[in-house]
Amino acid sequence: MSSRWKEVTKGIISENPTYVQVLGMCPTLATTTSAENGLGMGLAATAVLIMSNVVISAIRKTVPEKVRIPIFITVIATLVTIVDLLMHAYIYDLWKTLGLFIPLITVNCIIMGRAEAYASKNGIVDSLLDGLGMGLGFTLSLTLLGSIRELLGNGTIFGIKVWGKAFNMFVMILPPGAFLTLGLLAALFATISIKKNEKAKKKANQQQAQKAGEQ
Amino acid sequence: MKKEMLKTSLILTAYTLIAGISLSLVYTVTQSRIGSAELENIITAMKYVLTDENGNQVIPSTEIEKTVTEKSGEMGNVIYTDGVGTVTSPVYEYENSGVKYYVLSGYAPGYGGNVVTMASFKYDGDELSLYAIKVLDYSQETPGLGAKIAEEDNQKRFYPIPEAGLSAGIKVDKDAGKQSLSPEEAKKQGVVKVSDVMTGATITPRAVSNLLNAMYKYLREEYLQGGAD
Repeated sequence: MSSRWKEVTKGIISENPTYVQVLGMCPTLATTTSAENGLGMGLAATAVLIMSNVVISAIRKTVPEKVRIPIFITVIATLVTIVDLLMHAYIYDLWKTLGLFIPLITVNCIIMGRAEAYASKNGIVDSLLDGLGMGLGFTLSLTLLGSIRELLGNGTIFGIKVWGKAFNMFVMILPPGAFLTLGLLAALFATISIKKNEKAKKKANQQQAQKAGEQ
Repeated sequence: MKKEMLKTSLILTAYTLIAGISLSLVYTVTQSRIGSAELENIITAMKYVLTDENGNQVIPSTEIEKTVTEKSGEMGNVIYTDGVGTVTSPVYEYENSGVKYYVLSGYAPGYGGNVVTMASFKYDGDELSLYAIKVLDYSQETPGLGAKIAEEDNQKRFYPIPEAGLSAGIKVDKDAGKQSLSPEEAKKQGVVKVSDVMTGATITPRAVSNLLNAMYKYLREEYLQGGAD
């Protein structure tokens, strides 16, 4: 069970799709002008990612090696179109808000990346969990990026006012703000993993020294 | 080698076939529902633009629903354009105790594509004034900038505008060079004050202003002249 749980949590920090794997940069940079937009894009991509991982894992044994990429793309594009149609028909208001992002999901390389790297090699349940974990990681990354940009650019988070207009840095809402924030966050995630490695090394060294001392 | 190629292409064909069939199935199932959802959206917007400042609808919901459903067949045709703003059919006409309300839809180019807006005009037989607006589609506008037009408070900067302002031509405050006016003061002159709430995004509100000008011209120069009155 704990290894299954790891499938879910790895996507959040250690294999974070945005800051560590650097996948799906186009929607990440384009849609994170506010926390709400980031969250919306993340959730829509998560839904498609889970479905595509499950479908691709289910059909993985019937897909010939040579044409796997066109087949994966067909599956993903079909799923995205179905989601788009269903949302348009049954949850119109949400579709109106996310409408812009849904076609973008097709070209999100996280989905293609996980299909190729994980779902085509693993069982259905593991692929589902991988999709869930990666989707959560993507959603959290985008929400974080969107919140920071919205806060620095507009003084709000999820539309809730934090501070006055005087602190607003207009550039944060524009494309350069996306690159700046993304770079700083990627550096933060890299620092976390370096610190973690150092700690693990120290521990291993200590244990070794202890062993040597005992002898 | 040849056999393998044939097999591979057959598998690929099978997959695309399944994808095509499932898509057409979903499309068939959702199509009518999408149509009614779109209609519902228009009815909601129309109720919004026919509501007075106290929150009361000037036209009963049943009448709005009936009119929209009746006219749903003639939706979306171009009936007027002044080169910038385009008005699309149909024109919805309502009356309440001698005052007429015209609801028009149309579009004008914004930053990334067309900005679609619905607007209601009030006509008491003499003065034609802008009553309310609702921006319906701004999906191509930049998030955080032009897309701020979605906010209700920003849209309220556009109305009401009396005929004196309409005949002078609606302008955003930056184009009119009147950024110092208060929003209410500006409306009287046909100036839409948005530079304080939509800083850096002039193109989107300009699109809405252009469209409102086209709508006013159409109503004054064609619709009200053509004996419809």
